[in-house]
Amino acid sequence: MAVSDNRPFFLNLVKIKLPVTGFVSIFQRISGLLLFLAIPFSVYLLDISLQSRTGFNRAVEILSAPLLQLVSLILLWSIVHHLLAGIRFLLIDFDIALEKQQATRFAWLVLVIEAVIFMLLTVEIFL
Amino acid sequence: MSSPGLQGLRPWIIQRVSAVFIGVFFIYIFLVVLIDNPLNANDWAAWVATPYNNIFIGLSLIAILWHAWIGIRDIVLDYVPNVVGRLLVLTLFGSTLIGSGLWGLKALFMVLIK
Repeated sequence: MAVSDNRPFFLNLVKIKLPVTGFVSIFQRISGLLLFLAIPFSVYLLDISLQSRTGFNRAVEILSAPLLQLVSLILLWSIVHHLLAGIRFLLIDFDIALEKQQATRFAWLVLVIEAVIFMLLTVEIFL
Repeated sequence: MSSPGLQGLRPWIIQRVSAVFIGVFFIYIFLVVLIDNPLNANDWAAWVATPYNNIFIGLSLIAILWHAWIGIRDIVLDYVPNVVGRLLVLTLFGSTLIGSGLWGLKALFMVLIK
């Protein structure tokens, strides 16, 4: 495999200055990974919550723990971001908003809309 | 290094088709949560036992697992250069996804016949 010697292999993530489009992209991967990790536990909660009233209360109790509340918030953000940024990527596949200025605006739009939806759902679910 | 069967157009398309399906599912879930939140044991089980909800959740679960498999596989191929390591990690993740799928479908089926 031909690789030039001075190509950086381990990139220093702290030193890289990402444009907003880059943040939307990397958050897509991070949120996807978090959602992947949440799958088995989510299925467990689905199972016990459907089995009986006791199981349902147990699931509610588990989710009420402060740490789990924080995890749930992060996962809720992950879903909303993955969905919104995913829609953006699908539109990019159809060659929509590829110009730099448009792409930047589009990325900001995704972040703003996801913040609004995240807040609406947070208020509904957690308050 | 190339991994036969792990790259190409097919997973790319599956990733996008499943994404649209899952997207519609979560928009539906968000609307249910915002408009009519089934937040007690009876309502929740009844909601999941409604045939179209039950089938929609089941299909979405399969779409999610397939989508997650392609996504996690891409991440593993990016960050685990070693072939044996890839095989181990992908086997672990793959069996976790299949196990979660069977478990979830069983839970969805059991609430139907309860």
